[in-house]
Parts: sequence; C-alpha cells; structure tokens
Amino acid sequence: MTDVQDIAVSVRDLKTFFYTNNRCNKALNGVSFDIKKGKTLCIVGESGCGKSVTAASIMQLLPTLSRIEDGQIIYHAERGDIALHALDKNGKQMRRIRGAEIAMIFQDPMTALNPVYSVGYQIKETLKYHLKMTGRAAQQKAISLLKEMGIALPEKRVNDFPHRYSGGMRQRAMIAMAMACSPKVLIADEPTTALDVTIQAQIFELMDKLKRDHGTGIMLITHDMGVVAELADDVAVMYMGNIVEAGTVDEVLRNPSHPYTKALLASVPVLGRGRHQDIKAIRGSTPDPLNRPKGCQFADRCDFAIAQCQVMPPEFNMTKTHRVMCWRYQEVSAHG
Amino acid sequence: MLTYIIRRVLILIPMAFVICFLVYCGLELTPGDAVSHMINPDALGSMDPAQIEALRQSLGLGQPFYVRFWSWFSNLIQGNFGFSTNGGVPIANIIATRLPATLELASVALIFSTVIGCLLGILSALSRGSKADGALTVVGMLGVSIPEFFFGLVAILVFALNLGWFPVGGRSMPSYVTLWDRLPHLVLPSMVLSIMLTAGVMRYARSSMLDALSRDFIKTARSKGLPEWRVNLLHGFRVALTPVVVLIGFRLPVLIGGSVIIEQVFQWPGIGNEFISAVRSQDYPVVMTIALLSVMAVLVASLIVDVLTALIDPRVRLGE
Repeated sequence: MTDVQDIAVSVRDLKTFFYTNNRCNKALNGVSFDIKKGKTLCIVGESGCGKSVTAASIMQLLPTLSRIEDGQIIYHAERGDIALHALDKNGKQMRRIRGAEIAMIFQDPMTALNPVYSVGYQIKETLKYHLKMTGRAAQQKAISLLKEMGIALPEKRVNDFPHRYSGGMRQRAMIAMAMACSPKVLIADEPTTALDVTIQAQIFELMDKLKRDHGTGIMLITHDMGVVAELADDVAVMYMGNIVEAGTVDEVLRNPSHPYTKALLASVPVLGRGRHQDIKAIRGSTPDPLNRPKGCQFADRCDFAIAQCQVMPPEFNMTKTHRVMCWRYQEVSAHG
Repeated sequence: MLTYIIRRVLILIPMAFVICFLVYCGLELTPGDAVSHMINPDALGSMDPAQIEALRQSLGLGQPFYVRFWSWFSNLIQGNFGFSTNGGVPIANIIATRLPATLELASVALIFSTVIGCLLGILSALSRGSKADGALTVVGMLGVSIPEFFFGLVAILVFALNLGWFPVGGRSMPSYVTLWDRLPHLVLPSMVLSIMLTAGVMRYARSSMLDALSRDFIKTARSKGLPEWRVNLLHGFRVALTPVVVLIGFRLPVLIGGSVIIEQVFQWPGIGNEFISAVRSQDYPVVMTIALLSVMAVLVASLIVDVLTALIDPRVRLGE
C-alpha cells in the first residue's frame, strides 16, 4: 500500500451490521480502503450496496439498530493515530473529530440545513464548538467561507435563512459549514444527486479546488461513472457490502477486472454515439440483503459465473494498488 | 417583524367589527326581546298591548335593527357595555370583578401545562419505545380522554374532603389579604385544569419532536460534532415547537372565556361561572358581552400565535 504518511483515514475489514425484526443484515461485510490526503476516493455502486453506511460508520452516525461489528477505522491525525471504531458514538473525543477533522456533506441540501436558523448561525455553530470562535470573528469567518464557496454578497447572505437559498447555494453553504474548521477529510454522500447538471459541475469544481488548496482528502460517494472519471484519484466499486474492485482511477476504468465494474461501465450512455447505442443494463436485480446468495454476491447476475463462484472469492492483488474480488479476474480483465 | 405585527393588528379591526355584528345578529334571532324577560309572564297577559308597545318604544326596541346595532356598538367601543338585566349592575363592573379570577386560573394552568407538557413530551420522544415512554403515552391518553369534571370531583374527594390539604372551592375569604392566603384555593382548580392541557401538549410535543428528530438536519447537526443536548433541543425541539405553540395558542381563548366546567365544579368566581348564571337567568346583555369577550380572545390568541410562529419559524414571516 501507499506510504502511511499520505493516508488520512484507513479502513480495514470493516463490518457493520443492521438488526431489524430480529434479523441481521450484513450491510458492510469486510470493507477495506484508504482515504489519502489531498486525493479523492470515489465509492461507486448501486443503491443499497453500503456506500452511505460506510460513510456513516466512519462518522459514527449509524442509526440505533446498527453497529460496527468488526474491523478498524483508523484516523491518522497529526497528534497520532486514533481508532474511531473504538470511540464512544457521541462521546467527547468523537465529537471533537466529527465536524472539525472529518466533516460530511449530505445528499439533499434542501433538507440538510435547519430551516429555523440562518445559514450564518449554522456555520458559526461549528466554529463555536470546535474553534471556540464567537462574535465578530466568527461572523467574519462565516462570511469569508461563504465567499470562498462562491456565494454572491456573502455579507448579506450570511444572515439569510436556508429557504431563501437556491439548491446549489444550499449545497455551497453545506460545504462552507463542512469546511469551516479545515477538516483533513471531507465525506460527500452523493452531494449532487438532488441538483441539476450545471450546478453539479460547479459543486464538483469547488470540491476539486478545496482538495488542491487545503489538501483535504475527499471520500466521494456516487453512482455516476462520469463523475468518477472526472474527479477520482482512486476508485472503490461496492456491491452488496463488499468492495469488489478497487484501484487508481486509471486501473479501474481502463482495465476493469470485476464483471460488475465492467457491467457498470457498459451501462453508461455515451454522448455522441447517437440514440441507438446499445446500453447494457445489468440483468436481474440486487439480491435481498436478508437472504443473500452463498459465495460471490454477484454470481446470479454475472456472465462469467462458474461453479467456483458458490464460494466467496478472496481479494486478488493485480498490482500494488489494484485489487479485485473475483475468481476469474484474469479472464474478465483480458475479455475486451 | 414590526410591520408584520402592525399589519396583523390592523386586520383585527374589521374582523372584530364583523364578529360584533354576527353576535348581535345571533341575539336578534333568539325568540322574545328584553321586554318579554323584564315582565312577569302572568302580568304580561293582563297588560295593555299599547302599554307594552310604549315600553318597547321607550327602550328603543321599535327602531330598525341596524340603528339598534349601531347604538349598541358605539356604546361598546366607548367602553359602555350596558347593564345586567338582572339587578342592573353595569356589565363593565361584572367583568372587572370576574376576569381577574379567570385570568389567574388560566395563566397558572397555561404556564404549568406548557412547561410540564413540553418537558414530558421531549422526554417521551427521546426515550421512544422505552417503558417511560409507554407509561407517559398511557397517562397522556387518560388525561386527554377523561372529562375534566371527573378529575375535578375526584380531586375534591381525595385532596379536599379526605386528606383535607386544600379547600373544596371558592377563591377568597373576607379575612384574606395577600395572594399567599388565596394560594391554597388556586391549587386544585388550576391543577385539574392543567391535566387535560398538559396531556394534550405532551402528546403533541412528542409527535412533533419525533418528526423533527427524523429530519435530515438533525444528522447534519450531529455530523458537525455538536453535543446531544444541543442537537435535540436547539435543532430538534426548536423546529418541533411551532405546532406546539399553535396548539397552546388555540387553547388560550377557551381558558380566557372561562373554563366553564372547572369554575362550576370549584365554585371559582370567574367569567365561566358568571356565564352559566347569566344564561340561567336569561341575562342577555351579560351573555352577549361574555360571548364577545371569548370571541375577542380567539382573535387575540390567533394574533399571538401568528406572531410567535413568525418569531420561531422564519418561513412564516409573510411578505417580508
């Protein structure tokens, strides 16, 4: 793996289970990855594959009926390594990190801001708790944050309530809030799903700029392969609670070696190929998480499936960075 | 904000006028008139119709409806409410002696039920599914569904008659000087009045709080690393407060119009008690005035609710 110096958060063999109706849903079933400083890690996968649960596990914001069962989440802080998985969910230590050193932005900016407080107040709340910054200094900081996020007339807008902001502006405000304490890691859970495409491009541009200017490590959750190609340094493809393929963006997109990655890439429409292009949908649907197939979770929908797939494949390392969970990765990789 | 309040107050004036008119119409539609209640029915039969007509004319009852309304209304806005047909006491005096008693009872009940109701509602919501929540739910349902007079009678039986802790009823005695002397009288009626209100506020606060806690911004607040109390109270309860304020606000007129039943049960000398006796003795001017007072209370309460919700929730501030 990479030099430990460059890693902000490393996740090892993370297992997060949900308990509903006395049944156990293994939402994350042994997930490992690193978020590097100043790099973007994209986590891709379809709905329900565990992307958001991964984010919630790192932030310790899991709902009550779920818990981290096994594995490690290590935050490499300047003051030494901190095992996040071992910290008390709402304890003082976790709260000190959450929002200040690891911040998060959410999918729907329309509902993620509290409607009864001004945007400035909500930014200042973070400043107050983490930097002990209050009064005029906090106000100035909030204004400069909004300005940095490209909000026009920040001196006026800072006192406005969220309902007077447009969707794109709200997401900018959310990012301003998340970046208030210059976090080492920014987790973005589908930050542009609720926004239209032009705004989407602006938000990503902004995130890319923050990464370059502040050296923030970004974990971007998305299901859009276009976004991955555009922004990612590293990619992790998730399916049913496992990372089925991970590597640098070049490795994964140019040499997809898991049938699922291949299928995902084949299902993206390409501009310029006309309207009769062949978009290959992945056949079948995701299995019931409470009634999982034995072995490889993707086998039922896979064109490459063989008898051996009834046994869960281990991770194969193709290169130092490129790893894949498939028995037939060599053939898949070679296959066009 | 100030312009918002001023606009709301200005809207009140035409509304109050229309309501005065409607109340007067209501009185007009009731069978008989002042004369028929002034004269003993036995005497009425033996009276000369011309004599009755003369009495009518002398009281101004022969004039058209709108002229009488206008004379009543212009008197009203000058603070002249007229006189009780039952003893000829100025109605303004009656209101002046009765209203403080009602307000005293109402404000204690309102403050108590708001504070306790909100606290229990928050507790209940935060410990959802626990035994405490279950117990509070049962108590809340009982409080909402059992009628007030029943609680009143049970309270009198237990705390006044058996235990002797508090007086059975009334508000004052000739020997009383300070509020402290009267306090024991206030306890039972205000607590009984509070029970139903508290239960309602609690149930409402609970569901409103649960709704607020399930919203996305709670997760945002938590992701900022804020302590739990701040997440729950400043982000959760602040948003949950709006519907609770509306609920409490609309109970206000009921309390000001006099909690008729509680005042009756505890012989509390308030507006509600006066209302009952006025209805019984067909004292129409008094009934009119109290009805009007209740209506005005509704208007003022809705004004207060509007201003409060606008203060709490910035999205409500209209036309800003």
